[in-house]
Amino acid sequence: MKRTTAYVTAAILTASAMLAGCARGRELPMTTLSPKSDLAEWIYRLLIEVTLWDTLVFVVVITIFVLGLFVFSTRVGEAAPPSTAESDLKLEVAWTLGPALILLMITIPTIRTIFRSQPNLPPAGSLQIEVVAHQWWWEFHYGDKNQIVTANELHIPTGVPIRLNLRSADVIHSFWVPQLGGKRDVVPGQMNELTFIATIPGMYPGQCAEFCGESHANMRMRVFVETPQQFAEWEKVQVTAPPAAASITDPAAAAGAQAFANSPCTTCHRIDGVSKGYMGPDLTHFGSRTTMAGAIEANNPADVAQWITNPAYVKPGAEMPALGLSGKNLDDLVAYLESLK
Amino acid sequence: MAAQPKALPLEVPSYLEGGLLGWLTTVDHKRVAVLYAISTLLFMAIGGIEAMLLRLQLWSPENHFISASLYNQLFTMHGTTMIFLVVMPMEVGFFGNFFMPIQIGARDVAFPRLNAMSFWIFLAGAIFLHLGWLWGLLPNAGWFGYANLTERYFSPGLNLDFWVVGLLILGVSTLMGGLNFFVTIIAMRAKGMSYLRMPMFTWMILVTSILILIAFPPLTVGLVFLLLDRFFDTHFYVSLFGATPILWQHLFWLFGHPEVYIMILPAFGFISEILPVYARKPLFGYPMMVYATIMIAFLSYGVWGHHMFATGMGPVADSAFAITSMLIAIPTGIKIFSWLATVWGGSLRMTTSLYFALAMLLEFTIGGLSGVMFAAAPVDLQQTDTYFVVAHFHYVLFGGSMFAILAALYYWWPKITGRMLSERLGKIEFWFTIIGFNGTFLPMHFLGMWGMPRRIYTYGAGLGWTHLNQFETVCAFILGLSFLILYYNLIMSTLIGEKATADPWDGRSLEWSIASPPPAYNFAHSPVVRSRDAFWAMKYGRAGSRGVAMFMAGQIPAVPESQQAIPTEPIHMPAPSIYPVLIALSLMMMGSGLVIGEWRIIIIGVAALIASVVAMAFEYPTYGQDTHEIEEAEASSGGIDLRKAGLWAFLGSECVFFASLIATYVVYKSRNIGGPGAGILEIPLTSISTFALLMSSLAMVLALNAIQRNKKNLMRLWLGITILLGLVFLGVEAYEFAHFYHEGLSMQTDLFGQSFFTLVGFHGFHVSIGVLWLTTVWFASFSDKFDKSRALSVELGGLYWHFVDIVWVIIFTLVYLMQQVKGA
Amino acid sequence: MSEVTQTAGVLEPHGRVAEAEAHHPGAVIYVIVAAFLAVLTAMEITVFYVPALKAVVVPVLLVLAAAKFALIALFFMHLKYDSWVLSAFFLFGLLIAFVLLFAMMMLFAYLTHHRD
Repeated sequence: MKRTTAYVTAAILTASAMLAGCARGRELPMTTLSPKSDLAEWIYRLLIEVTLWDTLVFVVVITIFVLGLFVFSTRVGEAAPPSTAESDLKLEVAWTLGPALILLMITIPTIRTIFRSQPNLPPAGSLQIEVVAHQWWWEFHYGDKNQIVTANELHIPTGVPIRLNLRSADVIHSFWVPQLGGKRDVVPGQMNELTFIATIPGMYPGQCAEFCGESHANMRMRVFVETPQQFAEWEKVQVTAPPAAASITDPAAAAGAQAFANSPCTTCHRIDGVSKGYMGPDLTHFGSRTTMAGAIEANNPADVAQWITNPAYVKPGAEMPALGLSGKNLDDLVAYLESLK
Repeated sequence: MAAQPKALPLEVPSYLEGGLLGWLTTVDHKRVAVLYAISTLLFMAIGGIEAMLLRLQLWSPENHFISASLYNQLFTMHGTTMIFLVVMPMEVGFFGNFFMPIQIGARDVAFPRLNAMSFWIFLAGAIFLHLGWLWGLLPNAGWFGYANLTERYFSPGLNLDFWVVGLLILGVSTLMGGLNFFVTIIAMRAKGMSYLRMPMFTWMILVTSILILIAFPPLTVGLVFLLLDRFFDTHFYVSLFGATPILWQHLFWLFGHPEVYIMILPAFGFISEILPVYARKPLFGYPMMVYATIMIAFLSYGVWGHHMFATGMGPVADSAFAITSMLIAIPTGIKIFSWLATVWGGSLRMTTSLYFALAMLLEFTIGGLSGVMFAAAPVDLQQTDTYFVVAHFHYVLFGGSMFAILAALYYWWPKITGRMLSERLGKIEFWFTIIGFNGTFLPMHFLGMWGMPRRIYTYGAGLGWTHLNQFETVCAFILGLSFLILYYNLIMSTLIGEKATADPWDGRSLEWSIASPPPAYNFAHSPVVRSRDAFWAMKYGRAGSRGVAMFMAGQIPAVPESQQAIPTEPIHMPAPSIYPVLIALSLMMMGSGLVIGEWRIIIIGVAALIASVVAMAFEYPTYGQDTHEIEEAEASSGGIDLRKAGLWAFLGSECVFFASLIATYVVYKSRNIGGPGAGILEIPLTSISTFALLMSSLAMVLALNAIQRNKKNLMRLWLGITILLGLVFLGVEAYEFAHFYHEGLSMQTDLFGQSFFTLVGFHGFHVSIGVLWLTTVWFASFSDKFDKSRALSVELGGLYWHFVDIVWVIIFTLVYLMQQVKGA
Repeated sequence: MSEVTQTAGVLEPHGRVAEAEAHHPGAVIYVIVAAFLAVLTAMEITVFYVPALKAVVVPVLLVLAAAKFALIALFFMHLKYDSWVLSAFFLFGLLIAFVLLFAMMMLFAYLTHHRD
């Protein structure tokens, strides 16, 4: 029986080592172990510190366990009689104070990180973005007059302090982009903030992390961290109004523009200069986004058409109704939306 | 191989004998325990199948095996079932019920009928939670049902109605159980069993009971608010009018974190019983273990905020909760090390039970260490709501509680059924469990760190999560298989298992001193305890040193004289009662009526409830006369009356209940926007009712004083005046409420309105119960037997009455006189 | 051989019911306590109506309420005369209640400053 135990222990250890190995060389876009902002970096360092202490304790426990089980104990009837020790004050003090000291070593950097990651006021020169969480998509407002409103895709520059002001339109959600730092709940009736400086450009996926209803799993987002120049260019495109229906050259898109302006779409969706709906995502620059429908689908004509035809299939519980569009009408509408760069 | 004391001399009728009606009306703690065992084993199978379905859905990205809506229902039910219907009732309701009274040398729990009621109400709540199957509308907002998603507006279906009502019913059952066990351990220990001689499992049940008493009231209050929101359009958790859904989280986790310890402390108790028996060594560091448990209980009430680091409580609160959460690791560490020291140098008998117990040590340690990571608040911000948390709490609840439960099953099964479980099947099951469990949950740590959130029914491809999820699903089925082996083993053992002796493991505590299965009355003679490990000392002498020598010499100790199985004088046992079942049924009727919106059913339910309770009160004709056998045993309880102890413990719990309501009132009053506000309160009118209530307390004590001097008519006069003054108070309150309603202040108007009406209304509800209680006593006093000896009945009603009075003292000051003071 | 009887009623504890009644105070004490309670209530209402006391209204009211609370618990509920164990049950609940109230007030005081 002793040998079986040893085999199984070995198997478990090998398996966990293999699992740890999987992390390397594999695409893990939502990993928490590859920090891309100052906030994520602080948390990562704290995690490493705690993990090291944890490992130390675990090694001690395992050692005592193995020694106690296989060396200093006997099977019934095998050898020496069992000891009758009931207590040992020195030992007991040691295993109270030892862990207490370790915990103290963890507590100090913990509290330091807590205070440093939650500045009460936005840092000087920070870019403030209002994040509004909806069932089940994200909305981002830039500028004090909402000059830019976009959905599911957040663009931010590197090197600039970012201050996200988090609001909810309905239930509790949680804003989380693992590579950029820890999550922060988005609570109705409460203003929560998240402050960080992104350090490395790239596209980082994120996701709502608090269960928020039927399609909680479909409430994803993408954060594009760009160099300040790239970000400025993106900003410039976003603040310009899309071309008016009359000046669209592509015939399909022009027909789609007509169809959109006369459709019920306008009650929920805003397109600058065309419609004023606000229940659903702002579509002014829809064509410039890489994803749609809570960042679960790629933004290409086929998927957009499927989404318009049957939203409930793509995202169960979604509020967008199926409008019964098909054939040319649908293709025109899709062409128009995709033209909104 | 082990030294066996010879089998008990005579066949005694076991507690198991009796017909179906006997089981329905039973009040025997062992039978109640078996009822718990059957139902929790059933619910465990249901919860396990739910988990399998969840794992199948996660097999591949964008899987369409089950729908989003079904997935959400399944994970909600899996969590709710495993926590409320499996782990807690198995540890406390099943093992606690069966073994705690025997371990302290008692013949039953303090309140046997209340005990039966706990079970039937538990079953009613459990069935209620599952009623949704009939309509395909199971609860679907997660086991912690975060507001405001649970509001009618966002969750219009019946799903959460079943959840709210079901949990409220389960809460009643658990509170009754906690109260009962608390009083039993405080007041019914055998002669000589001082606190530091109690078996460790009994200690754990004691501390668990205390935690139940202080943890469930906040949950009840939170659920009542949710119920009001869903059925009566109040706005406790809606951000309108300045309310906040965060209130639910605080009330829920004020319960939720102690609940974690309610689920793990009895498991600690199992391990502390099992290791010494199979290592043939006393438990190492017993006093430190006891103090560590008390530390854990205290701290567990101050760490709930670590479930809420992401909600934005502010850096000061984050730090405070981080520190308390770190502190709780110290007593937990003490336990782990003490167990290791217990095994160290022992003479181990490698039974299945010991396998599971030793495995629990390691698995729980892993869970504890990952728990320390959450105490580091910033790290928690990355890990909370990911699969890392799922991994952590399964290592604690499965690796900790469930492994301990399995160890306890193999350890105690012979005592419960009188038959042995197959050790060979047990060992096979063990390895399946170990491989299945670690294979399922260890990779979840990595998935969590790689960013996979929990509670998602689907995930995108290209996130690197697929392979581990598939590996986990395979292992989950291995784990499922291990439980099939267990069920097979349990069934085969019950049918054709090898007969067990009274003491198959050479046990240390008193349950091994009686027959397997035990007779209905447990002990033919109340045992006298002279040391820790009471039965061991009876067999081998104090401290076991002689035992070791005898053991090495292969000698068999004699059964102690005092443990003979046949009683030599009359044993008085409580009679069966049908009312526990009726009360559970009427609660279920009330709940059903509420959910389907049929008022007549609710009213019938309430009437049935009141009728059953009153009828049950009159089941007590011989009260206060059966003291013949009590005289022989000296109290280790200091002569505290059971009912009085029970009532005071209940009042302590009520303090926490009212504190939750008062806290809500204070917080919401300061956040109130619009509406008439507190200025509407009228002092002159309320002063009159305050005075009436104070004077009713005087009348009450004068009534008690009268019956103590055997003046029955005078007592009835004063009691009548008390009831009358109570009715005056209620009348004024009714007038006041109607007046406010007329002035435009209702439950639905604003924050002040809803928190005022719930606080003052709940107090009024208590006054009404008091009036009902005292009226029952008043009628009972016409019986001829009602004299001086029944003074306690009057005193108990009085204690409740005075408590209602002091709550009013607080409410009058805080709500009425401080109406202009701004709150927090 | 003896019998096992079953009659209605709870199982009695091993402990003998103490003759606590003997230590209970008499009617005179009860009336005196009630008189105190009435006077304290009158004082509370006075404090509420006197504008000059507005600055100290909270501490004074809290002290008065605590006094009434203590009087009822100690004399009417006999905590002064009964076993200390019963007081411990109640005081523990009370302690937890205070912790809960205080913590909730502090936590929400912070939240209230972070309203949306």
